[in-house]
Amino acid sequence: MSKNIGLIGRRNYLLKQNPRIEELKISFKIFFTNPTAVAGFVITLLYFIDIILVQFFPSFIGISDPNRYIYNFNNPVPLPPSSSHWCGTTAGGIDLCDAIIKSIRIDLIYSLFIVIVGAIIGLLLGLVSGYLGGIFDEILMRITDIFFSIPYLVLAIAILFVLGVSLENIAFSLIIVWWPLYARYARAQTLSIKQMTFIESAKASGTRDLMIMFKHIVPNVLPPIFVQISLDLGTVVGVFATLAFIGFSPTANIPELGYLTSLGLNYISIAPWSVIIPGLVITVFALAVNLMGDGLRDVIDPKRRSV
Amino acid sequence: MSEILTINNLKVWFHTRRGTFKALNGVNLNLRKGEVLGLAGESGSGKSTLGLSIMALLPSNAIIVRGSKIILKNRDYLKYFELFPEEKIDRKFKIKKNQKIMKHIRDFLAKIRGKEVSMVFQEPMTALNPLLQIGYQITEALLAHSSINLAKRILSRINLTEDDVREILKIVKSSKNVEKDLNEFSKLKKLDGIEDQVLYILNRKDLSTIRKERMIYSLKEKMKNPLTMSYLKKIAENKSIGIYRFLNRIPILKRYLKGVLIKEGYRKAIELLAMLNIPHAEKVVYMYPHELSGGMRQRVSIAIALANNPDIIILDEPTSALDVIVQYQILQLISELKYKLNISFIFISHDLSVLAEVCDRIAIMYGGRIVEIGPIDKIFYESLHPYTKGLLRAIPKISKDIKTIESIPGTVPDMRNPPNGCMFHPRCPYVMDVCRNKVPKSIEYSKDHFVECFLYGE
Amino acid sequence: MKLWLYIIRRILLIIPTLIGLTIIVFILIHVRGNNLIIAEYLNPHLTGAARDYAIQQLYQRFHLNDPLFIQYFYWLYQVINGDLGLTRTPIYSGPVNTALALFYPNTIMLALVSSILIWIIGIPIGVWSAVKRDSVFDQSTRVATFTLYAMPAYMVYLLVLIIFAVYLKWFPISGAVDPLLLQGVSWYVNGISYPTHIIFIDALLHGDINIALNSIWHFILPSLGIALGGVAGIIRLLRSSMLEVLDQDYIRMARSKGISESEVINIHARRNALIPAVTSFVYGVAGLLGGVVVAEVIFNIPGVGYWTVQALLNNDAGGILGSTLIFGIILVTASLILDIIYAALDPRVRY
Ligand SMILES: Nc1ncnc2c1ncn2[C@@H]1O[C@H](COP(=O)(O)OP(=O)(O)OP(=O)(O)O)[C@@H](O)[C@H]1O
Ligand SMILES: [Mg+2]
Repeated sequence: MSKNIGLIGRRNYLLKQNPRIEELKISFKIFFTNPTAVAGFVITLLYFIDIILVQFFPSFIGISDPNRYIYNFNNPVPLPPSSSHWCGTTAGGIDLCDAIIKSIRIDLIYSLFIVIVGAIIGLLLGLVSGYLGGIFDEILMRITDIFFSIPYLVLAIAILFVLGVSLENIAFSLIIVWWPLYARYARAQTLSIKQMTFIESAKASGTRDLMIMFKHIVPNVLPPIFVQISLDLGTVVGVFATLAFIGFSPTANIPELGYLTSLGLNYISIAPWSVIIPGLVITVFALAVNLMGDGLRDVIDPKRRSV
Repeated sequence: MSEILTINNLKVWFHTRRGTFKALNGVNLNLRKGEVLGLAGESGSGKSTLGLSIMALLPSNAIIVRGSKIILKNRDYLKYFELFPEEKIDRKFKIKKNQKIMKHIRDFLAKIRGKEVSMVFQEPMTALNPLLQIGYQITEALLAHSSINLAKRILSRINLTEDDVREILKIVKSSKNVEKDLNEFSKLKKLDGIEDQVLYILNRKDLSTIRKERMIYSLKEKMKNPLTMSYLKKIAENKSIGIYRFLNRIPILKRYLKGVLIKEGYRKAIELLAMLNIPHAEKVVYMYPHELSGGMRQRVSIAIALANNPDIIILDEPTSALDVIVQYQILQLISELKYKLNISFIFISHDLSVLAEVCDRIAIMYGGRIVEIGPIDKIFYESLHPYTKGLLRAIPKISKDIKTIESIPGTVPDMRNPPNGCMFHPRCPYVMDVCRNKVPKSIEYSKDHFVECFLYGE
Repeated sequence: MKLWLYIIRRILLIIPTLIGLTIIVFILIHVRGNNLIIAEYLNPHLTGAARDYAIQQLYQRFHLNDPLFIQYFYWLYQVINGDLGLTRTPIYSGPVNTALALFYPNTIMLALVSSILIWIIGIPIGVWSAVKRDSVFDQSTRVATFTLYAMPAYMVYLLVLIIFAVYLKWFPISGAVDPLLLQGVSWYVNGISYPTHIIFIDALLHGDINIALNSIWHFILPSLGIALGGVAGIIRLLRSSMLEVLDQDYIRMARSKGISESEVINIHARRNALIPAVTSFVYGVAGLLGGVVVAEVIFNIPGVGYWTVQALLNNDAGGILGSTLIFGIILVTASLILDIIYAALDPRVRY
């Protein structure tokens, strides 16, 4: 009798395959049947292709120097889009199309770096403080409180002042202001999972804390954090560009979208394209990442999964 | 007895992504004046859905099928709406259009809700708005339908003379039927509304007679300012209040117009709560729902349902979430109200033993149909339908052996694909061939005792 | 009564946050090294031993030889007594105090006007698009808010600027008030207006309607830009919380009383839906103040944000110190106000 049950169980297991793979299949199905999410995904992919091309095959797309803009002082006043300059030019006669293709790389790579590092720091601290609670938790919360008591852009500017204005330092300052958000978020997630019964039973059966954390809590906290990252990426690109927009003097010459926008600022009344076009490039990216993030949120939403 | 509510062939379905859920499949029911009708059945049999249909408060994905009739006080209100016929509810069903129809029905019937029919919902803990004072939530119901009464109550206190008070006290002391005499007195003197206030004071148990007398004396109120007075008079005479509607938008003026009515609403709310045996009602009205226990909240819900003296009250499992003592108190209360106020009740419960305490008749529901309905004795001692018999056997009886507790084998049918013929046939111990193909008709087996089963009749 | 107790408790809770704020500002300034702190005070013409002596004197004066921990308390004492040091930027040089008095009114004005605009625009749109779910209005609102939400702040302001100032010419391109109007005005001395320092209010106080209107006219566009940047989040949040609220039992209960649908929405649903919007606006204010900084730069408005950026570009410690502190205080005050609103809305938090 008991043998039979074992056999049936094993057969069911084989038939149903690995439940994780099954779950993954459902996830893919939910994501890829959502047209806006797919659109977001495709656009994001295009931006990343741009990065790869600029980084590794610049000559392939006709870019001579990926690390700085090429001025044309014969024609320093911005020109409108035309057949020779598809997106027009901005101050200093810089060709906008060429400039944008170069700049995307910097913005995206740094933003990705910011969110990932910020998320890792926040996740670790949030997990530990949420799981252990007590004094450690209290200290972490007070620290994040202090961080939340200054508007993040102002704090980033102050940190930038300490470190000196450069692209890397913009990234560092944003990591410093961004991690507390993730810490709070990861802590809240951890707390809600900690209360579930399976954690209790794992504890009761003598599993060690570290084990519980990595086997039970981390796998449950990661998906929502991941969704948060993809939603945040859009915001961070914007903030990164904003800091570059206000932080660099006009002679810096770095291929970055916020800085590129600031170059057109003096010509805003005669050449609005010189600020609109670079701005739109960021907006489209942020929009795409947000659409993708919304799609991902649906994937992990238990309500959607069950239907 | 006259029928106050008749339901004919009521079909309510739910549109879901996984198919159409057939919650009610031709319900026939009538409710008489002043009776308590019990409605029993397993979870999911459609009891709440039936209650919500009468209230016209169905969720937005509900479909009322054409041919359904709900006749309230001789008015067939579904007649006015272009409902979808059964055969059009298929894959290409226009859910948006149906939602509009449902919203029309809901808005159209706002006038009767609370005034002619009201309902106490299944979940006492979440039924009250957490941000509003208890008193306001009751007052709101009063303002919706009874602002005339509120205005009259205020005016009656203002118009009260010393002589009137003396006369009232005389009635209170000497009359055999205080309530009747007070009513006559207030009619005679055109002091509508004063009688309730006097009775409330008399019925208070926490006061001495002398205090009560003093309170009756102090009912008399001073004249209010002319603006307020003319507003109250307009409302009391049920005249149009055109300009006041605009004045009520101005915060400072609002205090002297609508605010006066709201204050009176609180007064009336205290009386209602006291009638439902809530201690310290005059404090409770200023509290918020989270400060009350489940039983108190349930009583507040009942007070809201009672506020406008409706003809029908639907009680959806009013006792299930409560402990036995509170449950008993609430049942007691309902029996009292039945005699006092001449209201018809529909009492929904899955627990027949609860129904046995308060009901005149009982309807048994299965799979969205009323399978048996009859006077309480008939249902308990001469039940006909196999399902009713099963339900009765499932009541634990203390006097007997524990072994006698039984349950009905099988489970509730999947109402997305309900069985052909009689809904109950897959679980019925007496199933016959005819049960699998034909839907049984309702048969009057004995006087007032109807059953839908092929075992009876012919 | 109970609300008052709650407010007092909440005000007391601010103190540790303020201390934290001063610690973080102190650390930021001192990490850059002591030379920057005394730079503003040092006479640049001194050389050699005289210079060394002057530096020594300044070290003494600011207790820079003491341990950092002790230094903090000296510094805090100084701050509490209202001495925030000196600032030197192209737009202003002098005591940080005076700079703050000069700049903060514009910032407060921008923040307030745009917050008010956010709620005036946000509440009806968010509520309405939930009530009329999936209608054309709802769909277009969702597209618009999604786009606005994704745009970097400066992009929103630039678009507003290009559309309303450059093309339509309805509003001035930059500045806080037309300087020509202020010539020879008695209550406006050295770029500071008296008594409140807020030009709009002072002009009203002195009966100069013309100047007041001109000031408002300058503020509309940046405020609108900041509001548009922040309103998308509020609308999205309100819409989803409104949808959730409309499904609650107490809404069905409210309907069962027979009150009108507009009362159901306005009295029962909206207030409940506002609660999560108000609590999350605490984070929104942080974003909004960041927006104020950027808007001041783009619209050339001499406010604290503009000063901050000037301080960053000119390596000026005083400016960074003053602006960080004042922004922190504004934010802490804003979250206090929001918490009080929250408590006024929701009786459950008062206990
Ligand atoms: N909005 C809805 N959409 C789909 N199905 C619904 C909806 N509302 C109710 N139902 C289904 O209709 C059936 C009848 O529900 P109803 O609430 O009337 O049952 P009930 O008899 O009151 O049960 P209980 O004793 O548990 O309260 C249930 O099976 C429920 O799943
Ligand atoms: Mg029910």
